[in-house]
Amino acid sequence: MPVTPFRWFITASGSYAMIRQPIPAWLFWSLAVSGIVVAIAIYAGMSVYQTRINPTQSVIPGLKGFAEGFDLITKPRGNDKNPKPSWLVTDSKVTFSRLFIGMGLGTIAAIVLGIAMGAYTGVEAFFSPIISFMAKIPPTGMLVIYMVAFGTNFKMFIALIGFGIFFTMVQSIYQSVKKDVASDHIDKAYTLGASEFEVVLEVIWKQILPRVIDNIRLHIGPALVFLIAAEMLFASEGFGYTIRQSQRFSNMNVVYIYLGILGTVGLLLDYGLMRFRRWLCPWFGE
Amino acid sequence: MKIQHVTVLGLTCLVALSLGCSSSKSGSGGAASGGSDGPAPVFSLAWSEYPSWSVFGVAEEQGLIDGAEGAMGSIEEKWNVDIVLHLRDYDTCITEYGSSVADAVCITNMDIMSPSISRPAVAVLPTSTSDGADACIVVGIDNIDGLAGKETLGLEKSVSQYCFERVLEQQGKDPSNFPFRNLDPGEAARAMQLGQADIQSIMVWNPFVLDTLRKRTDSKVLFDSTSIPEEIIDMLVIGKDSLGKPGGKRFAYAALEAFYAVNELINSSETRDETLVALGAKFSQLGLEDMKTVVTQTKFYDSPEKGLGLMEDQKFQQETMPAVAEFLVSHEMAETKPTFGFNSADSQLNFDSQFLIGIRDGVDPASVE
Repeated sequence: MPVTPFRWFITASGSYAMIRQPIPAWLFWSLAVSGIVVAIAIYAGMSVYQTRINPTQSVIPGLKGFAEGFDLITKPRGNDKNPKPSWLVTDSKVTFSRLFIGMGLGTIAAIVLGIAMGAYTGVEAFFSPIISFMAKIPPTGMLVIYMVAFGTNFKMFIALIGFGIFFTMVQSIYQSVKKDVASDHIDKAYTLGASEFEVVLEVIWKQILPRVIDNIRLHIGPALVFLIAAEMLFASEGFGYTIRQSQRFSNMNVVYIYLGILGTVGLLLDYGLMRFRRWLCPWFGE
Repeated sequence: MKIQHVTVLGLTCLVALSLGCSSSKSGSGGAASGGSDGPAPVFSLAWSEYPSWSVFGVAEEQGLIDGAEGAMGSIEEKWNVDIVLHLRDYDTCITEYGSSVADAVCITNMDIMSPSISRPAVAVLPTSTSDGADACIVVGIDNIDGLAGKETLGLEKSVSQYCFERVLEQQGKDPSNFPFRNLDPGEAARAMQLGQADIQSIMVWNPFVLDTLRKRTDSKVLFDSTSIPEEIIDMLVIGKDSLGKPGGKRFAYAALEAFYAVNELINSSETRDETLVALGAKFSQLGLEDMKTVVTQTKFYDSPEKGLGLMEDQKFQQETMPAVAEFLVSHEMAETKPTFGFNSADSQLNFDSQFLIGIRDGVDPASVE
């Protein structure tokens, strides 16, 4: 039987094609890079095709378009009398401060209530129905309520992100307290003379910590969605504001760069938190 | 068990394929196929709820246009074009035009300038002009001097901000002393209606103007677009590429004819009320009395002669459009001004009066490519 390229490929890769079969690092990274290259190649093909139809198109910009977009967002604004930073600097400061403060407050509140619900049945009984109900409501559908309660300024964005992640995070944390912390660990701590506070801090908190970090990782994406949606409607600065305005004026090169920055920051935060969890809780494993 | 899995997989593939096929049918227009005797080429028109643009929705109700693909109203049959109507949010309309998803769009003379840089545009029909429909509404402020230093909320880099600054300039004020903060107009109106203490001034358009004045009884109009007549123009714009396709000109004529047919209904004493009610149903669910106010604040160019009057007006050509282009660059909506002209085919934004003239003179559909 002649050795066709297809047959050669099947033979060569056969041992790696089995379920859960590990592959060598060189192959893993080659495939990872290939995926990115294929995605870029598809985009480049679409850009070339659109440019042939309309040489001035800006919907799927090429390299030149992206260079112009980058110039647009990094150019200092204002005038000699009233100099202002570039869009990128202004929007980054505003958006990421809203994101971090909102996520920070939402996470702290969720940890406190989640542990209380997981540890004390009375607290669980009181909060469980309302938390379960609120967790199912999309926060972006309640934008107007946030506006009524918190106005249209900084507080509203913080509240939206904080409450947006709070309810689902509380559910995860309290489930973690109930299931990941063995009762005999708590009993042993009490037997050894630990106080209530020490049990919470030394037994419960330390055991759920990796779950909390994973929860923060999972909530970065939703928090960004809530924030960008709110900034599109209510903000006069920030990524959501600039994305909306740029869409209106067909500056898609700016939109794509901003989306790329958001994706990259989200990815870096996710990766950083994962490394942090591995460093802080090596016992938890990968 | 294996057969069950294969069956589920097969059914899933069939559903996916059928969805894929149906969605490929509903792609955007311009799939033209020739002259007036051939199959009708498809063109899409993106419109949002606004008095003179909701006219296209009323035209659909009247059977003049059938907004679905593959179905034809009487005017579509006359011109042998299939017009697909896209009712969208205003921003989405602009995005659909800029990304060539829609062949034509209902848009203002200011908002079309930036998209026309990447997709050359042909303004074929002025539909109306704001004559009080854009207003600065205040609470607890008696005059323009009292507004200085106080924040006004409205959509930045839009006709709202343009109107706000133009009126202030007319009054001899420096707009930089009057801060303007971005907020979606619907939300700005809602915030004022809710009586939030820090919101004393908003700059919005109808129906938010009417709605706010009604719901916040202590609010009043400080100034409005009556001070800058024929500067904010609502229009129908077609992509130059779409207009150049077979059937593109017939599409333009059909759209104009539908617009004027509904205007005749509005102007006829016998059909005025019911047409205004139909228009109101497609403009924020406004009733007859509100619509009577709305059409005085949004003056329709209800005949080809009035449309031509604007396009040939020297002030509009020599002063208004250059001022709008200047606003575009000074407010960082575009890095460069688009080239614009009147019956100037090479301009990125071309105000082309041939279709108005054709409709006025009763052009024969058979003579149009």
